[in-house]
Amino acid sequence: MNSRNISYSLRLFEEFKASFLKDLRSYFRYPAWVIGEFVSTPLWFFFFALGVTLFAPVASGASGVHGSGSGLASFFFGFVFIILFSTSVWGVGQSVRNEQTSGTLEQFFLAPANRATLILGRWARIFLTDSLIIGYTTLLLYLLGGTAVAVLNPSLFLVSLALYELSLIGFGLFMAGLTMRIKAYNSIGNMIFFGYMILTGALFPIAVLPTPVRYFSMVIPFTYLNDLMRHAALGTPTLLPLTLEYAAAVVSSLFMMVFGFVAFNRIEQDARVKGSIATS
Amino acid sequence: MKADVQALAAIFWKGLKHHIRYPGEFLTFLLLPFLFTFLVLGMGNAVGGTNAAAYFAARTGTTNIVIYEILGSAVWMTSWVVLEDVGAGIRDEQIKGTLEQNFLAPVNRFTLLVGLSLTDIVITSALFLVVVGVSVAIVMPSSFLSIVPAFLTLLLGLIPLFGMGFLFAGFVVRFKEPYIFIQLVNLIFATLTGTYYPVTFLPYWLQFLSGVLPQTYVIDDMRRIVIANQTLVSLYGSIFILLTLALAYPLVGYAVFRKIEKRAAVTGEFSKY
Repeated sequence: MNSRNISYSLRLFEEFKASFLKDLRSYFRYPAWVIGEFVSTPLWFFFFALGVTLFAPVASGASGVHGSGSGLASFFFGFVFIILFSTSVWGVGQSVRNEQTSGTLEQFFLAPANRATLILGRWARIFLTDSLIIGYTTLLLYLLGGTAVAVLNPSLFLVSLALYELSLIGFGLFMAGLTMRIKAYNSIGNMIFFGYMILTGALFPIAVLPTPVRYFSMVIPFTYLNDLMRHAALGTPTLLPLTLEYAAAVVSSLFMMVFGFVAFNRIEQDARVKGSIATS
Repeated sequence: MKADVQALAAIFWKGLKHHIRYPGEFLTFLLLPFLFTFLVLGMGNAVGGTNAAAYFAARTGTTNIVIYEILGSAVWMTSWVVLEDVGAGIRDEQIKGTLEQNFLAPVNRFTLLVGLSLTDIVITSALFLVVVGVSVAIVMPSSFLSIVPAFLTLLLGLIPLFGMGFLFAGFVVRFKEPYIFIQLVNLIFATLTGTYYPVTFLPYWLQFLSGVLPQTYVIDDMRRIVIANQTLVSLYGSIFILLTLALAYPLVGYAVFRKIEKRAAVTGEFSKY
């Protein structure tokens, strides 16, 4: 690596660090949001968990498509996937929208810094706070119900989590680009969010879905990433033979990353030409 | 009196125009009950397997899962709309800088808040008729007429809900930051009022809190009317409680709102955000 590459990497790191710290500061500047997030996120989990309990076997633990005793744990991981996925829709994507409405997006884009690094800083802050919320909910679940959530294969889980996060960054960049194109971001974001929850096997296996819908699920990259993470955590059977599932997860992840970067750059260029960066 | 009616009509039309101008928001509220119900059904089937419906029936006394859940979802969305419109509506005006003009207009505050609520009666009625009407027409067409008394229960339940909205509007003027509180309060309402399960599933101390929320009675009554073919007369006990809450919440809500508003007029809170 020559000195030019080193200084470029250092500069990117500095930009990333500055963006991360800026986001962390703004996050803690609104304590109501912090408290609200830490209370509401586990509450969503307990609310739906209570609803789902109605369907569980009367005398014993859950034993459905997920396999005996793993119902609550599987649902818990579904909740984790949703929190992580919200990073791309409501975190990374929404961040551009927030800058747009507060009129700081132009300054942000005029800064002599890489756009992607600035957005990555935001992602890193959300990843940090999401991890805290997930950890705290896991502890709460243990203290309230005595249910300890364990991961069967931690190394595979970490690898699949890394692939999942790469996809989230890519998808988040795409969503960030989308905010420069469309006005009704919240409505679209809601639809995408629900589509993810229903179609990708995040909360329940796609085997529960009607057959034609299942085909649609099979072409969504997140389906394989969710499946691999759940397999690593709970040992549930995978959708594809294991080797093929690894390949599908890696390809999906790389595809999402490249797609996100390309889409974001294209949309930004287009918005610059049309002058629509701050008008949507 | 005539001036009050004119002011009410103006506020009502303004609110309705806002909803018409942003149809995406209404469409989201229309779709959310179906999506949440679908999620619960999907998760339930995954957990209960082929016997999921039987386990559900053993706990709720009905196999009509879709209607049971959609009624809960529809009432939940109704309270969501009311809190967002009445509570956050004040905050929106504050941010846009139009709250002072509204409060300076020679219109009674109560008229202003009731005007906001009137728009919501139309919006929530449309929400109920589309979500519940369509579901009942498809799943239990023979019970379609039962949506009329169910709708009357909803209308009665809206009155205390508006009272809560007034209370919330006061807090918003005082503490700002309404959106996270709206999310939190909506979620607490959903959890406590038996949206997807009977409230008897909750610990006793939480059941006490459920008892002071109007949506608990609205959801339970609707399920009894639509699924168990009961009449409003046979539900007189809970109707009486709803009437009591319909009197108590608006009175308390408005009193708190006025107190906070008076204080804000002295401290200059209105223009701060």
